[in-house]
Amino acid sequence: MRVDLIDKVPSGAIGTLWEGTKAIAAGFATTLKHVFRPPITEEYPEFRRVLPARTRARIVLTRDPDGGERCVACYLCSGVCPVSCISMQSAERTDGRRFAAWFRINFARCIYCGLCEEACPTSAIQLSPMFETCERDILTLVYEKEDLLVDHGGKDPDYNFYRHAGVVTAIGGKGGHIDEDPPVNVRSNMP
Amino acid sequence: MPKLTIDDREIEVAGGTKVIEAAARLGIMIPRFCYHPALGSVGACRVCAVKVLEGPVKGVQMSCMLDAADGMQVSTTDREAVEFRRYVIEWLMMNHPHDCPVCDEGGHCLLQDMTVSGGHGIRRFPGKKRTYPDQDLGPLVQHEMNRCIHCYRCTRFYQQFCGYRDLGALSIGNRTYFGRVASGRLESPFSGNLSDICPTGVFTDKPSRYFGRRWDYQRTPTICINCSLGCHAVTSVRYRQVARQEARMSAAVNGWFLCDRGRYGFFYASLPGRPRQAAVKGETTTMDEAIAHARSRLETLPPDAIAVNGSARSSLEVLAMTERAARLKGWRGPAFFADAGAAHNVKTAIARLEEGLAVSLGEIGQADFILVVGADPINEAPMLALALRQAVQKGAGILVLDPRPVCLPFGFMHVPTAPEALGAVLGRLVKKSIGPAGLDGPAARFYASLPDEPATGQEVLARAAGLLAASRRPVIVCGTGIVASALVGLAADAALLLTAAQKKAGLFYILPEANSFASGLLAPPESTTDRILKAVVDGDVKALVFVENDPFATSPDRELLERALAKVELLVVLDYLDTPVSRRAHVFLPTQTLYESGGIFINQEGRAQYSAAAFAGGAPILETGGSDHPPRVYGTGLPGADPQPAGQIMAQLAGEPMASEIGARPEYFGGSTVSELAELPDVEAFPEEGQRLSPKNLPADRFKSVLPPSSAAESDELEIILTERTFGSEDLSSYSACLETREDEPLAGLHRRDAESLGIREGDGIAIRTGNTTLEFAVRVYDNMASGVMVVPRLQRLPWQGLGKRVRRQDIRKA
Amino acid sequence: MEPVSLDVTVDMDLQIWIIGTIALVLKLGAVLLFLLLMAAYLVLVERKLLGRIQVRYGPNRAGKYGLLQPFADTIKMMTKEDIVPDAADRVIFLLAPAVVAITALLMFAVIPFGPDITVYGHRVPLVVTDINVGLLFVFALSSLGVYGAALGGWSSNSKYSLLGGIRGAAQMVSYELALGLSLIPVVMEAGSFSLVDIVNAQTQLPYILLEPVAFAIFFISALAEIKRIPFDLPEAENELGAGFHTEYSGMRFGLFFLGEYVHMQVLGGLIAVFFLGGWHGPLLPGPVWLAVKIVLVCLVMIWIRGTLPRLRYDQLMNFGWKVLIPAALLNVVVTGARLLW
Repeated sequence: MRVDLIDKVPSGAIGTLWEGTKAIAAGFATTLKHVFRPPITEEYPEFRRVLPARTRARIVLTRDPDGGERCVACYLCSGVCPVSCISMQSAERTDGRRFAAWFRINFARCIYCGLCEEACPTSAIQLSPMFETCERDILTLVYEKEDLLVDHGGKDPDYNFYRHAGVVTAIGGKGGHIDEDPPVNVRSNMP
Repeated sequence: MPKLTIDDREIEVAGGTKVIEAAARLGIMIPRFCYHPALGSVGACRVCAVKVLEGPVKGVQMSCMLDAADGMQVSTTDREAVEFRRYVIEWLMMNHPHDCPVCDEGGHCLLQDMTVSGGHGIRRFPGKKRTYPDQDLGPLVQHEMNRCIHCYRCTRFYQQFCGYRDLGALSIGNRTYFGRVASGRLESPFSGNLSDICPTGVFTDKPSRYFGRRWDYQRTPTICINCSLGCHAVTSVRYRQVARQEARMSAAVNGWFLCDRGRYGFFYASLPGRPRQAAVKGETTTMDEAIAHARSRLETLPPDAIAVNGSARSSLEVLAMTERAARLKGWRGPAFFADAGAAHNVKTAIARLEEGLAVSLGEIGQADFILVVGADPINEAPMLALALRQAVQKGAGILVLDPRPVCLPFGFMHVPTAPEALGAVLGRLVKKSIGPAGLDGPAARFYASLPDEPATGQEVLARAAGLLAASRRPVIVCGTGIVASALVGLAADAALLLTAAQKKAGLFYILPEANSFASGLLAPPESTTDRILKAVVDGDVKALVFVENDPFATSPDRELLERALAKVELLVVLDYLDTPVSRRAHVFLPTQTLYESGGIFINQEGRAQYSAAAFAGGAPILETGGSDHPPRVYGTGLPGADPQPAGQIMAQLAGEPMASEIGARPEYFGGSTVSELAELPDVEAFPEEGQRLSPKNLPADRFKSVLPPSSAAESDELEIILTERTFGSEDLSSYSACLETREDEPLAGLHRRDAESLGIREGDGIAIRTGNTTLEFAVRVYDNMASGVMVVPRLQRLPWQGLGKRVRRQDIRKA
Repeated sequence: MEPVSLDVTVDMDLQIWIIGTIALVLKLGAVLLFLLLMAAYLVLVERKLLGRIQVRYGPNRAGKYGLLQPFADTIKMMTKEDIVPDAADRVIFLLAPAVVAITALLMFAVIPFGPDITVYGHRVPLVVTDINVGLLFVFALSSLGVYGAALGGWSSNSKYSLLGGIRGAAQMVSYELALGLSLIPVVMEAGSFSLVDIVNAQTQLPYILLEPVAFAIFFISALAEIKRIPFDLPEAENELGAGFHTEYSGMRFGLFFLGEYVHMQVLGGLIAVFFLGGWHGPLLPGPVWLAVKIVLVCLVMIWIRGTLPRLRYDQLMNFGWKVLIPAALLNVVVTGARLLW
């Protein structure tokens, strides 16, 4: 279906001139009117809007409800990062828990796309609304694990990956996780 | 040749080919878990389902179990088949734990790929997941049984393919468990392949545990240099650290697998203590200054007073440059071998590997009778044992003639023979298995020269002779380590004789080290390390240059070495290892490993193979960051990237102008006196399977071997056989910490008769006094070894250099 | 030796010359100061006004109400790196901005900004120089001004710059005609090419009332002449980056910028002179009146920028050749007829 946006098609040169002039005049009137309206600008440093929790700004590493580091250094965030600003080294704690020996985000490179958060299987890496990270020395924009770690669970406060994963850690042994049967007795002949 | 249609595309395959294989040839990758080209089909996982539209059996079929038939029409994309595969994956995932983020397989996991590509995402089954207890399988393989999908690949590989029995399937039904009877180190020296072969994360690589993901690794096709076979590997590097090595498929060499020595023998490249800075008299300095210093010192000496030593662990580029430098400057050497015996064995082997006779490791699996002479495959070249086993699986008979208590993962005939009697037994056997008919000229003369009196009580030999007589593709495998020089030629002549007797005979040598072939090609005939050391002691040589050579590990005469090092005026050492000699060097120049510089290695059959550089060098981040995050500094250049390719350093030491570019081959080999090398292709165009080098002319000494006189007389001396072990003998792999627990106990082996005559029982300690040192061993008594010899493992941590070649019985005492 | 006479009598001619020179220097200084300061603040006014048209504040951080913004901008421009592209034609690249700025400044020389005043008995005209063909001088310089844009665009050796420069030249050629033709009726009315005479002829009635069509044509052509919206095709940001000055940075870019705003004022001055009665006006002194008129014209130009979109290239050409030039010609005929009749 064709939609006519112009409801009245002007006819003849005089009509066109008249319509054109009218339209231009209307434009000038509108802009003139705006000059006397109060601006709608929120002036930033004086006025700080409270941003929604899902705003994508500075990245944090959250903790699980038991206070442990959630990050298992699975490399998914660094793998998905389109600008390669995340680097880390995974390691093993004495109880078998996998963790990041070091974890580094270069915020000078980060484009705050949120793909890392989307990829994170343990809800560890999250983008927070904190956006005021401007620095004069670019090296201060390279955040290490201790700068990134926060002491809360962020947007997903209840999840603890190690309660679901089948691997043995201090949180649970074989069969000690959610939705797990006790370990199979290999030596039994019972059906 | 059945012709079938898969997904509307026609293909003709050999009879007996499975549909899954035919599809792979068309580039159609049918999902699979249990099927593996090396292991064959069992039809356990049910994920390779395809729909047969036209053929002997119609409907959904397992493509790995189905022989391709003429006129067959197969659809891999049929709705029914796709649904079937989707459900299979869903039920395999029913009990699979939710632990991909902490699983090392994640990123190269077949199950993960199939699950994602099959579209399964949410577990619909509301029940609980089955769990299993795990086992500690030693330092190389990590066990996590929860992830198992029961494809049986592990046991098929471990038991069927390799012939080891300590890992297998236990229990039944839903409780089927893959592991050992009890926790403990895996016995197989091929156990590392479990982490490659497992389609999910039940068996993962322990040394690289939690280090990185496949996608983060810089993966480079390389060549394993931990023995002379030159197996193909893929090296993974991350954060300037060589982290992992996997097998790379190669039909001509290693097939799909790699032994644990090769798989884990790379740790020397990223050791924290690896010397990365040049040093003059112990003071670290820049490369340029150290080279300039060494050069100015060398120039003050007459060329004849300078001697160069290399080793067979260097690449062809390094060896050729070393040889060129010495030749152009008139220096002595280079010596690539410890003594004349070793040099002669290798040079003979190279000369006798004529075209048509030499077989590759891959071809060994096709042989129908294999005669192993003076070789201990599992210890000297582990992958050879695996190739022999494949031949055995196909019905080949194997006879081992060796004084040592050889142990192989398959049934074989063993005739324990004293080293000097090896030739006679070989001759008798060959003579017995073929008749004089059809032989003429030199072959007939050689046949006649062989001894023909039957050995007493050796019905094993008679049986073997029968098998050899019946065989059509026999192969003679000959070691070069413990045998007398004459035997190397004799083995070749024996193979030639078998060829003359209308057999398709093959010849396969085991050489001592990775690049022994190249060393043998390039080494000047009369220069060996022991001669050079003697010349130092005599005062003729004043400066020694060691190029990637640790004489403390290779030289059998420790005393001579110590005297020479004490007397030498200038000791220049080029190496990437922290060795005793590099610590004593007046000028130390760090060099690059194979992973940094790349290089050509020529394996024992003369196959020149190029191993690409895996990374640019530099100290690992683990080291520079002190296992914490990398240092917070900006800068260009890599820390610890001083080392240069040894060839480049040699060129600078010699003041050659063409130093700079590795890989500019004509520069390296153009002036070479070895014509074979001049034909090598450029490294960029190196064929993946390498290029075989063979002697330009037929060897002059064909059929001219003379049997060494055998002295069967009982002597009052025991011959000492220093034998290599799978783990702990080879120089580079002895730097791998994870292999330390795999090393054997240093036991001295004695035949029961010798032990009884000495009054020694199994487990006793003995002390051997030689010269002014005393060495102590525990004793193991064998029935299946030659008498009159004592077998001592040549382990790096053992001071075997003091032992000498023979020991008098009265010098052996119970400790 | 000739005795040296210490009795120095300053003859009359010399005195006139000295006073003339001093007056000229003062006038030059005043005009330059006025133009440059105005240019700076015009930028601020434009940004503020545009901001308000778009219901926002505009610059308000440098000083009270952003009043120090021009200085901040100047400091920024002066301290930025002056980049010359490797492939640029260096000499022309360096000179082009100066051409733009200098021609714009020179044009103001003929604009009278007040009645003659008497200093120490000497009559000093409040115009930098009154030449009897002032109008032609203005046209000549105005045409020269386009060289800045065209050469700058060409010498940058960049496709965007080149396109901008070509567009500038084509636009200038097209609208120069209408510009000139629209003023013929004014000259016919005043009977002189001298701008002083034209102003003086409007003591009673500004020509805008006599010649409204000429005013409209002149105003529109003037907008095209200074490459302002809706005729800013030579620097069309969204298609050409920044057009002919894409490759310029630092103070050289600043000169282009300055040239544009000085040009704006000059055209404001010309409109005042030709149509609004120049410095004539009640109560306030002449220069103030002229300044007020200039500012008013500039404000209207800013308003237009805040309202109208950019023309398409074909529209631009059609409008210039098919509407403005015929209309201007017709106007000449009509005025001529009126004057004769």
